Amino acid sequence: MISQTLAQEVLAAAMARGGHFADLFLEDTTHHGMMLRGGKVETANTSRLHGAGVRVFAGDQFYYVYTNDTGREGLLRCARRAADAVSSSDRGVVTPMRKLALQDTHLIKVWPGDVEGAKVAAKLREASLAARAHSTDISQVTVNYIAWDQNVAIFNSEGVAAEDRRVYTRLACVAVASNGAENQTGYDAPGARLGFELFDQRVDPKVIGERAARQAVTMLHAPECPAGVMPVVIENGFGGVIFHEACGHSLEATSVSKGMSEFSGKLGAQVAAPCVTAMDDGLLPNEWGSIVIDDEGTPANNLVLIENGILKNFLTDRYYGGRMNTPSSGSGRRQSYAFAPCARMRNTYIAAGKDCDEEMIATMGNGLYAAAMGGGSVNPTTGEFNFAVDEGYLVKDGKIAHPVRGASLIGRGGEVLKRIDRVGKHMRMAQGMCGSLSGGVPTNVGQPRIRVSSMTVGGK
Amino acid sequence: MTYEQFTERLFVEAGKAGIAPAEVYYAERDSIKVSTHKQALETFAVASTAGLSFRGMVNGRMGYASTEALDEGAIAMLVRGVSESASLVEDEDVQEIFSGSPAYASVETYAPGLDALPAAAHIDAAVALERDALSRDPLVTESDYNQTAYLKSRVSIRNSFGLSLSHQDNLRYQFLSVVARRGDRTCDGAALGIGRGTTLDMDKELAEAVDHAVRMLDATPIPSGKIAAVFRKDAMTDLLDCFSGAFSAEAAQKGLSLLKGREGEAIAADCVTLIDDPLMPGGFVSSPFDAEGVATYTKEVIGGGKLHTLLHNLKTARVDGVQSTGNAAKLSYSAPVRVAPANFYFAPGEDSLEALLASMGDGLLITQLEGLHSGANGVSGDFSLPAKGFVVSGGKIGRAVEQVTVAGNFFTLLKDIVAIGNDLFFGPGGGAGSPSVWVKEVSVAGE
Repeated sequence: MISQTLAQEVLAAAMARGGHFADLFLEDTTHHGMMLRGGKVETANTSRLHGAGVRVFAGDQFYYVYTNDTGREGLLRCARRAADAVSSSDRGVVTPMRKLALQDTHLIKVWPGDVEGAKVAAKLREASLAARAHSTDISQVTVNYIAWDQNVAIFNSEGVAAEDRRVYTRLACVAVASNGAENQTGYDAPGARLGFELFDQRVDPKVIGERAARQAVTMLHAPECPAGVMPVVIENGFGGVIFHEACGHSLEATSVSKGMSEFSGKLGAQVAAPCVTAMDDGLLPNEWGSIVIDDEGTPANNLVLIENGILKNFLTDRYYGGRMNTPSSGSGRRQSYAFAPCARMRNTYIAAGKDCDEEMIATMGNGLYAAAMGGGSVNPTTGEFNFAVDEGYLVKDGKIAHPVRGASLIGRGGEVLKRIDRVGKHMRMAQGMCGSLSGGVPTNVGQPRIRVSSMTVGGK
Repeated sequence: MTYEQFTERLFVEAGKAGIAPAEVYYAERDSIKVSTHKQALETFAVASTAGLSFRGMVNGRMGYASTEALDEGAIAMLVRGVSESASLVEDEDVQEIFSGSPAYASVETYAPGLDALPAAAHIDAAVALERDALSRDPLVTESDYNQTAYLKSRVSIRNSFGLSLSHQDNLRYQFLSVVARRGDRTCDGAALGIGRGTTLDMDKELAEAVDHAVRMLDATPIPSGKIAAVFRKDAMTDLLDCFSGAFSAEAAQKGLSLLKGREGEAIAADCVTLIDDPLMPGGFVSSPFDAEGVATYTKEVIGGGKLHTLLHNLKTARVDGVQSTGNAAKLSYSAPVRVAPANFYFAPGEDSLEALLASMGDGLLITQLEGLHSGANGVSGDFSLPAKGFVVSGGKIGRAVEQVTVAGNFFTLLKDIVAIGNDLFFGPGGGAGSPSVWVKEVSVAGE
């Protein structure tokens, strides 16, 4: 996007008044979106994001300045605004650059910009029709197509120069079931680091529409979930959101480096039940959370977070990792140039275990089977998390009795990890947009079916 | 290219491509954000950005495209994008480019004195706030998050009918979270201040945050069951913010709101008045015009418990055969025009929080709700949210409560409101506000 000479000039200007490290991130991204509701295309939108950010580390501080003006003058102005704020005796130099040779393992066949709108509309319609056909209870269906093509260039004062192109495609379907007085929703939203070939390789829109509709209708006819403390079995796929919220965020360097995470200082300690092994894998080909390099130019890897219940690694970026004297784990990610990067998850999952899916329900007594999880959130300082259960079933005497609506799960991360007493054999991943300090980034969550011996279930 | 040169060229190229009428929506934003840790600067972020959204009609359909780069490539991309988008859209509800309202009110939302503050003043304010927070209680020795931000924005709308509108605003906010520790217990409390003065008085907010963090160290769950509750002003504001989408006529027309067709009906207790006031002096989302350029005005959405109106933009108003309520909104510059409230709040009543608690006698004071983005369903009105608060007995605040969830339905809750307090508060989100509210009962899941 720009020459190495200019990048070097910008970084030198950024460090002119102190600092031991500087980097420059440039981005040009085109987003494609289409929304179909009530069987008709309601919006179709193309938007182009374009900008750059300059970051300087000086002492224990970092300075970040960003702009849409990526011309030579704009970039230098940005660098000077960062330098003007720095007051540090910390002095560094800009090392000559060498371009990183990268192997892009996430092959793309059909780029989002080359897809005809009519073909997209046809996929949305397939999902919508399938949802409508499922039941007369379905009162509304919204289907969204989201695809983007992000081109980035990253330069830093340690001589890194890298370029990367990231393509994502996703289909999201929300079905509403209604009896006039009450509404319930069902949802499914698969995606991958693929172009339009997503629909040939991984996603059948009919299946997605059907699944969202089935969930909405099931919940419309379900009674409220009773509240209380009980064992909970959580299904594979998006059920992995429990590890993401209850543990993953608390392993990010942002809170760990300040001693603010409940896992701070616990490397090597038993933080989970011995049946739990968890990974954060950035390498899986074409997966939603995969990368080639992170947004600081560090190549991807596969990181063991927890092995047999023992805490092995934290997720680190350059800045907060630096404060922990730990090199970056290739986790420095951001939504766009408008955010400074920080340590974030990629494809994060509980690895397959040895337990039998049927046995864990048969031996649980009375409890909740969470067949589909919704979103959640966590407070990394206290470890308190919460999740919505989008599709839940009450279990009585080890048998699935009937669906229940309105359930939520709450707890503290450290406690729930220790209470996992079954880990099934069939790991599956699902896609989410994870929101945190550096914005929304695509991440996969995943797990096999697991059982938690006791959790607080919110309901009525 | 400058913005002026760019838009001139764009309108010419759009005309050649048969896009008419056409409109440019341009949002400029400058920000300074600083955060501290251990009473020293940690991060300093400065931004200056702008985004341009272009929309226009082709064969009676509206197309959209947007860009942050104002170059030759962007002009071609916008014209092509709008043409393609318009050819794909099948929605029969007509969108329009607006020729202008007869008059626009004036509302002051820009403080030049605040804009004149140097970056160093924001850094000093953030450090001072953390220092102050950590001097108040021996159990509170850390802050896990402390951000001071200055935001300035300008929105301009220009269209081929000759309409040209522009509105500027700025504000500063300070948000600080403190951590109280004892043994292996960790609890937090948060303070928020928003304003346009050159200083923000956060004394009361800090005292509440510190007190909350410390008292939560002793918090325990309470037994599951149904219980009377007062939602403190900030908790109720979060809840209203979360369900404000139900008041959108667009949601109603699409079958996504249970308020569809219920104008004129009693949907809330008699004591409930819900106001949308885009012209509130000093309001955080005040503006004389909405995202379509329609003049805004103040209205009661609920009055005496009755639903008076849903919120409309031009398109939804045309469908329902009414006038736009001036509530067209864009989530970001690049988003399509939808519907959203401005400063949106429950009108305050007579009683202080203490008086509400005294009247309630026994129940739960809810001070904090979490997980609103996942545990609340705007379509069904159902919510099941982790909560914190205090047991209230004999009208007095008692022991702290945590690790419980509070569940209910927003539409049922509106009818179950017993009384509304006098402590109106506006949150950090989209302009939602509420005093503390006493509700007949909620379901609690605890022990």
